[in-house]
Amino acid sequence: MRYKIYIFSFFLSLGAHFTSALAQQSFVISGIVKDKQTGESLIKAVVRIEELPNAGIISNEYGFYSLTLPSGNYSVVVSQVGYETLVQKIKLDSSKSINFYLQTKNVLKEVVVESSRKNDNLTKAQMGTETINMSAISKVPVIFGEKDILKTIQLLPGVKSAGEGNSGFFVRGGGADQNLILLDEAPVYNATHLLGFFSTFNSDAIKDATIIKGNSPSQFGGRLSSVLDVKMKEGNNQDYTVNGGIGLISSKVSVEGPLQKNKSSFILSGRRTYADVFLKATEKFKDNILYFYDLNAKANYQINAKNKVYISGYFGRDELGLGQDFGIDWGNKTGTIRWNKIISNKLFLNTSFIYSDYNYNVKLKNGETNFNINSEIKDVNLKQDYTFYTNNQNTLRFGFNTILHNIKPSTFSGTVINSVAKSGRNGLENALYLTNNYKATNQLTIDYGMRLSMYTLMGGDVYNIYENGVIGSSIKLSPSSFGKTYINPEPRITTNYRIDDEKSIKAGYARNVQHLHLLSNSVASSPSDQWIGNSYNIKPEIADQLSVGYVTKVFKNNFELTAEAYYKHLQNQIDYKDGAEINTVSDVESVLLYGIGRAYGLELLLKKKEGRLTGWIGYTLSKTERKIDGINEGKWYNARQDRTHDISVVGIYDLNERWSISGVFVYNTGDAVTYPTGKYNLQGQTLYQYAARNANRMPAYHRLDFSATYEKNKTKRRHGSWNFSLYNVYGRENAYRISFKDDPNDPTRTQIIRTALLKWVPSVTYQFKF
Amino acid sequence: MLVIDGSITDHAGPYFVQLSMSTPVGNPTRVVGVNNARVIITDQLGVKDSLVLVGNGLYRTQKIKGTEGGVYNLEVMVDQKKYTASANMPQKVNFDSLRVNTFPFNGEIRYSVIPVYADPIALGNSYRFIQKINDTLDPTFHVFNDNLNNGKVNQRPLRSGDDNLKIKPRDNVFVEMQCISNTSYGYYYSLNLQSGAGPGGGTAPSNPPSNIEGGALGIFSAHTVQRKTMRIQ
Repeated sequence: MRYKIYIFSFFLSLGAHFTSALAQQSFVISGIVKDKQTGESLIKAVVRIEELPNAGIISNEYGFYSLTLPSGNYSVVVSQVGYETLVQKIKLDSSKSINFYLQTKNVLKEVVVESSRKNDNLTKAQMGTETINMSAISKVPVIFGEKDILKTIQLLPGVKSAGEGNSGFFVRGGGADQNLILLDEAPVYNATHLLGFFSTFNSDAIKDATIIKGNSPSQFGGRLSSVLDVKMKEGNNQDYTVNGGIGLISSKVSVEGPLQKNKSSFILSGRRTYADVFLKATEKFKDNILYFYDLNAKANYQINAKNKVYISGYFGRDELGLGQDFGIDWGNKTGTIRWNKIISNKLFLNTSFIYSDYNYNVKLKNGETNFNINSEIKDVNLKQDYTFYTNNQNTLRFGFNTILHNIKPSTFSGTVINSVAKSGRNGLENALYLTNNYKATNQLTIDYGMRLSMYTLMGGDVYNIYENGVIGSSIKLSPSSFGKTYINPEPRITTNYRIDDEKSIKAGYARNVQHLHLLSNSVASSPSDQWIGNSYNIKPEIADQLSVGYVTKVFKNNFELTAEAYYKHLQNQIDYKDGAEINTVSDVESVLLYGIGRAYGLELLLKKKEGRLTGWIGYTLSKTERKIDGINEGKWYNARQDRTHDISVVGIYDLNERWSISGVFVYNTGDAVTYPTGKYNLQGQTLYQYAARNANRMPAYHRLDFSATYEKNKTKRRHGSWNFSLYNVYGRENAYRISFKDDPNDPTRTQIIRTALLKWVPSVTYQFKF
Repeated sequence: MLVIDGSITDHAGPYFVQLSMSTPVGNPTRVVGVNNARVIITDQLGVKDSLVLVGNGLYRTQKIKGTEGGVYNLEVMVDQKKYTASANMPQKVNFDSLRVNTFPFNGEIRYSVIPVYADPIALGNSYRFIQKINDTLDPTFHVFNDNLNNGKVNQRPLRSGDDNLKIKPRDNVFVEMQCISNTSYGYYYSLNLQSGAGPGGGTAPSNPPSNIEGGALGIFSAHTVQRKTMRIQ
């Protein structure tokens, strides 16, 4: 009941805004902003009116824009990074549907800074948000020469890498499972391949990628710390194009083209590593398998001016095998159907229907014995997302999302196994949301809204209820029956005040709730980590984040400085009892412990976007801690990913028409770890004594990477480029693990062993396009 | 911190409790025995045994007899501080034999040994195996429970976490099988998790969950003992 009142009052406040617009006769211009060469719709293109400085909007995820204006003659200015600004004169005496076609900018010249300044107020309303420039990242050196958005976002302040060999990333002190990764609206459960060196995103097929660090608008939800929203290209609907890259251990290719010129197109992209091809050449390792592949397939069809349908799929798999006897494989499969409908010139609807499946399998064979572990999470997801362009001051976004989860925890089977089969659990996750983007004045914009999320336990399993670690009672739900429902309102608000053309200040508050949790007993995430939904014991995780920010141009407007400070309070965080066997215990809930967390920090980002030298310097000063009942005597302790300082310096320099060089330098304080405070003898062995959890530090991590790119025939239809890169230029042996043991040469001494993973890693990649 | 390491077995006594103090990591590694303690073990029959100091922190029983199903209570008094622990000896599960297991790995054959025993039908059995290869102690704490293979004959080999300890043909392998309580299982299992096995350093270490009350490290265990040796062909 309370929630209905919240929603109703939003509509009332909007009614007030309506009345002011009715004063004068106004018309609507609306349509899609597209790339002239390829027909791709352009996301976040700025559409504004020269004569009316307050009239402007950015195109949505499907390129749609809508502006309500009084009748008159106007110059419509349409712009987007990487394209020539388009100025089109219109006479507005009735509502019109106008599509805009932008021309790619071929050569990177000194851009007129004025126009981009005026755009900033529209494009920068959102706090804690960074859009990744897909063309810039092709020059940033990354390991193995693979352009990778997951690796690039880790170079931004507030986003930390989980370390070499570890998959995942941490945003503002949150865990690796607290990031919502979306690929064309479909959630991706495990976004990395092979021990964290490659992500599941084939960058050639990506149109736009944005990371929102906790203050996401209400249409996003389900994870506490961030949203990484990745949109794939639709496919060139004018001409066939082939893009690809050949590298030392992996290759990829992307083919796109029209199915029916101007009306429908497709894009097909694939990537595979072939590290095992080299292994086959050796005698010792020839029976080993090590590869992964990704396949993205997408097609779209423009039914008529108001309706467009998209169908896409992603298939990816990792395989690791040692001979015939041991194998582990894991992967994601997703299928999505989307329908864009322009219901009226002010109302846009996108409906998505998504199916996804993430699973992993371990096979072990030893003579007559075989042994398998399998775990899976399947989702069926329906989303309806409406945008209503009320008037020039207000844009309303609302909709709902319903997901049916089927989660099967680690299940063991085989000749030696006699355990009780674990059945999957169903859970129904629903959300309703509403946000209004309100341009209160020339200078002040307020985004306010609410997401109401609900999680209903469903059957297929027995739910045990624990009191102080002991079973109190049990509830068995049949597969289609409903158990407990958790309801959580998540208010969201951000404000942006533009002081002048150079400076603006922002503040925001958001509550995010998470109903799915990743259980992992080791400090490094692995594909065998299991997902679990809320239960009678496991409550939804809640994060409340407050942030303030300041953006300004500095050094004669050549640089942009962003400073943002945040404080986040976390509830219902999960950890495990000491010695918990989360994979084999019959009910994992019997070994879980609960508590709270807090994270706070300051992020600074200095960017240079124009000129021959571009890049950025990012610095984060932060702290993240947890307080769990049953761990560290219930006292606050540093989370593993607490790293006080985190610095990234990225520089890209265009030497001339053909050559560009780039470098990346990163430095971060080591992870918080627990070192022994003493040692003792037990049954002839030296054991180590520990006190406070994570009170120590790993040594600092720092690394320099270089890369050089040679491009031929940049402007011609057919061109290629070579990229040479060196990861870890000065070969620092960054500590991956610190362990203590008896010195084998002198048992009265203790040795501290520092293991490093990677030293110099050179790579060569050839990229082609025709 | 005080370390208490004591065990009662089903073999004939005497049994021992080792008391020592932990030392700073940088100091030379040695056993710093605690010699001024009063150590008492009582069993379920009411027999009360005051242990006698016989070595560097080493105390010995005089009359207690360890039997399957027995309940043993330990009391240690040192410097006006009291530490207590209670241990139940489970029923013995017969240690049938040792079997060699081979596993091809990267072009070579890896050997390991499988302790053969039939796990009883009831759920909740825990085992510990101490392995010595040519008299060198395998530092891994091998503990099994019946979460997965309840009621079946064991086919799981003892895989040492120490890469330097490889079993080769003509080696002598000694295995001691202990039927332990579930509390002891949790203690040794968490010791293994912290040893850094696996990528990224394993679990965040902390002192393993011990059954000793009062704030001491170590464990007081009551378990059955069976021993076998085999020679790898």
